[in-house]
Amino acid sequence: MLGFIIQRFLQAVVVMAVMTVIVFCGVYAIGNPIDIVIPPEATQDIRDEVIRRLGLDRPLYEQYFIFMSNLLQGDLGRSFVYNIPVLELIGGRLPATLELVLISVISATVLGVSLGIYAGYRPDSWLSKAIMAISVLGFSVPSFWVGLILILFFAVNLGWLPAGGRGDTVEIWGVAWSFPTLNGLSHIVLPAINLALFKLAMMIRLARAGTREIMLTDTIKFARAAGLSEGTILRRHLLKLISIPIITVFGLELGSTLAFAVVTETIFSWPGVGKLIIDSIGVLDRPVMVAYLVLVALVFVTINFVIDLVFAMIDPRLRQGATA
Amino acid sequence: MKYRKFIMPLAVTLGLTAVGAASAQTLTMGVRGGPESMDPHFSALGPHAEAAKHIFDTLVWSGTDLQIEPGLAESWAPVDEDTWEFKLRQGVKFHDGSNFDAEDVKFSIERIPVVTGPTTTAIYVRRVAGVDVIDSHTLHIHTDGRAATLPNDFIRLFIVSSEAAAAYSTPETSAGGFNSGAATIGTGPYKYVSWEPKGDLVLARNDDYWRGKGAWETVIRKEIPNDSSRLAALKAGQVDVINYVSSVDYLALDRDANIDAVKGDSVYIMNLQLDQREDTPLVRAIDGSDLAENPLRDLKVRQAIDHAIDRQTMVDIVLEGLGKPANQMMPPGFFGSSEAIPMPAHDPAKAKALLADAGYPNGFEVDLYCTADRLPGDGAICQGLGQMLTQVGIKTNVNAISKTVYFPAQARLEYSMFMNGWGTLTGEASYTLGGLAHSNNPDVKLGAYNRIEYKNDDVDMLLQTGARMMDPDERRATYEQAMEKVMADKAYISLVQLQTVWGAKAGMLKFDPRFDEDTLAFFITPAN
Repeated sequence: MLGFIIQRFLQAVVVMAVMTVIVFCGVYAIGNPIDIVIPPEATQDIRDEVIRRLGLDRPLYEQYFIFMSNLLQGDLGRSFVYNIPVLELIGGRLPATLELVLISVISATVLGVSLGIYAGYRPDSWLSKAIMAISVLGFSVPSFWVGLILILFFAVNLGWLPAGGRGDTVEIWGVAWSFPTLNGLSHIVLPAINLALFKLAMMIRLARAGTREIMLTDTIKFARAAGLSEGTILRRHLLKLISIPIITVFGLELGSTLAFAVVTETIFSWPGVGKLIIDSIGVLDRPVMVAYLVLVALVFVTINFVIDLVFAMIDPRLRQGATA
Repeated sequence: MKYRKFIMPLAVTLGLTAVGAASAQTLTMGVRGGPESMDPHFSALGPHAEAAKHIFDTLVWSGTDLQIEPGLAESWAPVDEDTWEFKLRQGVKFHDGSNFDAEDVKFSIERIPVVTGPTTTAIYVRRVAGVDVIDSHTLHIHTDGRAATLPNDFIRLFIVSSEAAAAYSTPETSAGGFNSGAATIGTGPYKYVSWEPKGDLVLARNDDYWRGKGAWETVIRKEIPNDSSRLAALKAGQVDVINYVSSVDYLALDRDANIDAVKGDSVYIMNLQLDQREDTPLVRAIDGSDLAENPLRDLKVRQAIDHAIDRQTMVDIVLEGLGKPANQMMPPGFFGSSEAIPMPAHDPAKAKALLADAGYPNGFEVDLYCTADRLPGDGAICQGLGQMLTQVGIKTNVNAISKTVYFPAQARLEYSMFMNGWGTLTGEASYTLGGLAHSNNPDVKLGAYNRIEYKNDDVDMLLQTGARMMDPDERRATYEQAMEKVMADKAYISLVQLQTVWGAKAGMLKFDPRFDEDTLAFFITPAN
């Protein structure tokens, strides 16, 4: 087990190191950030001074080396644009994304798996057909459009929910969260639905396909023959057997939504990290881009690692494989 | 949408009763962009300065039409070739109750080059060689040579408190000190309450403001970058006023009785720029072979391009009416705009004849590059341009791309024909012509944005003498003459002047649109 953890950790380090090189070279290839941000009146001396101050006058490998040596000391650098440490910038916006993403991904999973199992268990009922129809919609309708329609309907026409932004926050362990307040919740509802819709559809389809397959296997036949109730069979046997792909997808979705909830965050003016990275790319704010993508790589590696551990917990076969 | 008729009035009534008295004293503005820091000296970006103007005052004020007016300085005059005397306003107090005096101005000017970020504010003090405090309310500012437009440079020279900001004036400490509010002490109409990057800026009224008391006790400046979301927030009653309504939404707003749309002229003009180098990369013959010379260097070809463009159609169709045809690089009425320049006529037949005359009866092929995400309509104008040029025989491949890619490539001189907007933010010609029309010459600090290697010796001379003329009338005439010559050369072809739209709750607010597109709470008043 320890060897497994060390192997994963080394893998993570390599992925993150590669990420920094790609971003450095990528930004370098696009051009000099100075050309985007410097105002027209700037004379050559002023321009040179700015370039020197940001360290952009040095050769690329030297800039990279300086960045890496700072990184090893725990310093990810300062944003060109905001002049504050990158970690502070990302950290200040992470809770907003975290609460939005967790609420939407978890509720999409719970609801999607329940509906999916039902649709797989009774494939011919009209309700199942309705569920599947909804899942097709969830897949095929672009999320920016759904977001705008949600705003138009619930915020502009009905006036029930706010059109965007984050609501009142309370401090828990020194971090500002908005979900414990009523006002905060009312702000989360629409973006969470918007974000959840696609995942809901995917979870429904996964759970349904899994259920239909498992229901035909000997496991279920023997369980029925043993006289177990249908409810027990679904909870104790079916759920466990269909959960491997669902957990895999859950992990990947959690990671990608945390990192790139850009569209929803933009439409609902949600002050999260997805918006931050897009804006940073827009002005080639390299410290933020590099730091952010390094952190994203870390998040993905961590999630995958946790998923592997969970697999081992629910599937005895994998557990034996891992310890062997 | 049938239900809408019933729901809207209901929602509005509910909104009014729910927030009631509080809303009358609070102005919530939904704006597209925001500050990058609370340090006014950190960035020269428009939204940054716009936010800073709520808390800090500038030495010289630029009015609604960008005319310069007294700000914290009551008057100014040159005392000799390279010295300006500024007399400061008496009795102005900072938000912490301390007095404003000449030391604060000197401190602010000297602080700028130290703490500025990449969108450098050093440009505002680039001509300043030294500052002498004569008495508590008089300053002598020495410049590097004659600096006729020094007062124009100072319209974004924000004055911070020399006491409050003293400990926060290095690149490492400035953001912390100002973002926390410790150093965010200005003389402006509103006091700083709170801010987070990309989030809300909350302000409280400064009751002792020297211009008089503002109309709103509290001002909340919400950053909502997405155009549709900003409009939705206005329609849902979350904000009272928004800036930058898109041209598509503007048509719908005009029919919406709940929203007032206010249209204002913008300083931004779209300019087509034609590379004047002998060897230009992205022009070729129709069959793809190389041309003997760069056709864009031929005045007839440039005139043909000018005649191929239907500016009125651009405005009516592409911009949905939100713009005006432009014949020069600055809006009419600006210092140095010439009334003698004719509006070019749309005449495709003449364009074709001119092309044939120049030796290109079958036209040629060119790659056109434009920004697509910088200003309203830039991508669409680019496509319109492509069609109009192709119609007269110049086969144009349209590339409307992100500004993130466009500007660095433009700076590397990789384009032959390109278009982007230029805003004359100072309201006078030395800014625009000095940057674009003078040949690129770092020695005289002119032409830094001339990316087509345009060079007209007469223009160079006019711009160099104009920059040294202290008499405003003489200077104005010189710049007008330079503008006429530049526009006649057609290396820069101005297409349209943009207009911007603000949206506000119907009948609630009164304000004049500003040329620089700033949305300033102090100048917005309740309608009744």
